[in-house]
Amino acid sequence: MIEVTNLHKRFGAVTAVEDVSFRAEDGVVTGLLGPNGAGKTTTLRMLYTLIRPDRGSAKVDGLEVADQPLEVRRSIGVLPDARGLYPRLTAREHIEYAGSLHGLSGATLDKRIGELVELLDMKEIEHRRTEGFSQGERMKVALARALVHGPRNVLLDEPTNGLDVMSTRAVRTLIRRLKEQGHCVVFSSHVMQEVAALCDRIVVVAKGRVVADGTPDELRTRTGKDSLEEAFVTVIGSDQGLMQ
Amino acid sequence: MKTLLTAVFRKEMRDHLRDRRSVSSVLGGSLMGPILFAVMFTVLASWNRQDKPLELPVVGRAHAPSLMAFLERYGVQLSDAPADYESRIQAGTLDAVLIIPEDYGKDFSAGRSAKVQLVMDNSRNKARFTIRRAQSLLSQYAGVLGTQRLMARGVAPELASPVRVEEVDLATPERLAASILNMIPLFLVISCFMGGLNVAIDTMAGERERGSLEPLLLNPVQRGTLVVGKWLATTVFSCTMVVVVAVAFVLVAKRVPLQDLGVKVSLDAVAAAGMVGAVLPLSLLASAMQMLVATFARSFKEAQTYLQLLMMLPMIPGMMLALSPIESQTWMFMVPVLGQELLVSELMRGEPLGMLPFVLSTVGCVALAAACLAAISRLLSDEKIVFGRS
Repeated sequence: MIEVTNLHKRFGAVTAVEDVSFRAEDGVVTGLLGPNGAGKTTTLRMLYTLIRPDRGSAKVDGLEVADQPLEVRRSIGVLPDARGLYPRLTAREHIEYAGSLHGLSGATLDKRIGELVELLDMKEIEHRRTEGFSQGERMKVALARALVHGPRNVLLDEPTNGLDVMSTRAVRTLIRRLKEQGHCVVFSSHVMQEVAALCDRIVVVAKGRVVADGTPDELRTRTGKDSLEEAFVTVIGSDQGLMQ
Repeated sequence: MKTLLTAVFRKEMRDHLRDRRSVSSVLGGSLMGPILFAVMFTVLASWNRQDKPLELPVVGRAHAPSLMAFLERYGVQLSDAPADYESRIQAGTLDAVLIIPEDYGKDFSAGRSAKVQLVMDNSRNKARFTIRRAQSLLSQYAGVLGTQRLMARGVAPELASPVRVEEVDLATPERLAASILNMIPLFLVISCFMGGLNVAIDTMAGERERGSLEPLLLNPVQRGTLVVGKWLATTVFSCTMVVVVAVAFVLVAKRVPLQDLGVKVSLDAVAAAGMVGAVLPLSLLASAMQMLVATFARSFKEAQTYLQLLMMLPMIPGMMLALSPIESQTWMFMVPVLGQELLVSELMRGEPLGMLPFVLSTVGCVALAAACLAAISRLLSDEKIVFGRS
């Protein structure tokens, strides 16, 4: 479970996150929706401990991220904004490395890698070096690396960005699977349709603030619009982020 | 902690052993120095070969029979000079030609200075040794004759030479050799910086440029552990290069005819091990320094530029030592780079060294390396470094 309260972060003269609060429950997919530059990535980076908030609090399973970064990192699996791979290592070696840094080894690690290879359909690329991988293949490796330690909370920053239809479907399937298993899933997207297709709860962020928070139905009721698309335009005040 | 460190180290080693650029720069780069060294000394030795008898073509041998006899007595092989000797000397096929003019005998008998000509091209290094030997034999002959003439006239020969210069060469053969071989410490020190160069850049600047730094920092591992693991891998590459260079130098020193140069060097396996031991602590520091610089750099390219400048650093004391060896003071061993270069050149001169210089130079390097690693760990907690600056 993730709880964010009044997070605030500024870089020099630029305020990236003004005031963000939301809750993401276990077994629920929470979508952070907002146009580019709304503060989604900065919010996630504060959640996954790589940026210190100036104000406010962010808790993962009750642990304050700023105070116990190592414990928090153990309980989250993250697909960060930068998801680079090592071109000279194979897909399997990437997962192994992440696993060993989480303290896994031997048969436990092997079994876990086997499960992930199965789950993400990576059999063919498992023993290939990642140099020359397609976007979709790279995404699979990055996801497997993020999930190797079986984290309860999963944070995904724009997971379907740049993917083709098949890979997008694979990612969506994975997110649904994680939800069924009772994980707390938070993902960010600037694409409304993406969020509508997957999320139980939508947190709309614009200019560093949460402008709407609720289930898709609640959003529609609140704005008095029938389609989620129009509801989205109403709350952020522009049509940025809609698929044309 | 230890298993995490091993995990980081093993991944970096595996990654970089697969990197052709990292591996070939270690192996290829390390052979450059020894090969250069071998070529230089082989050429030098072939010029200076002392066991070769002096060959001296002469024009007008018949005019000075006693001089000819004197020269032959000293092992000079005399021959008749070819007609085109001047152009041959200029072309480099002849070193020097002795010309005895027709009136040599007349002047000689009359007690005047009899003139002989030594034709040569002094700009050619290869001929210089022949010329020097011919000159010294000729002046020796003149000296002997002069002494005899003075004695025949009842004059003490000492009167004719009020000052006699005696050359006392204090340089032992080992010292002389060391001054020539001063390039070896420089090469070893540069190896420390060359060996891990590519690894240091790739593991810090490259990691961020690839976008793999953010995922790496997401693991529940202390920054310090990551940094030390990466540093160990860089150090292995750096140390490997130092060892390869040292072994190559020893092999080359065995093959190159150093004795022909009158040079005796203690460059056996034991001395080489001492040199490697002296230089290795610098590898620890060089790797840490390079990683620190690569952490600041915004890209792989930028890191390369900075680190090439950093390579100049060991060159400065190295060049100074090679050109004008200085008397070492104890504190100097503490100074990284300078300390290692001094240690190696002292070792090559075959001078006895206590443990103290080794300890001092190691302490200097290790302390500075630790400071660099701590700085890198701190930088990796800096948002501006991790996510880039604009």
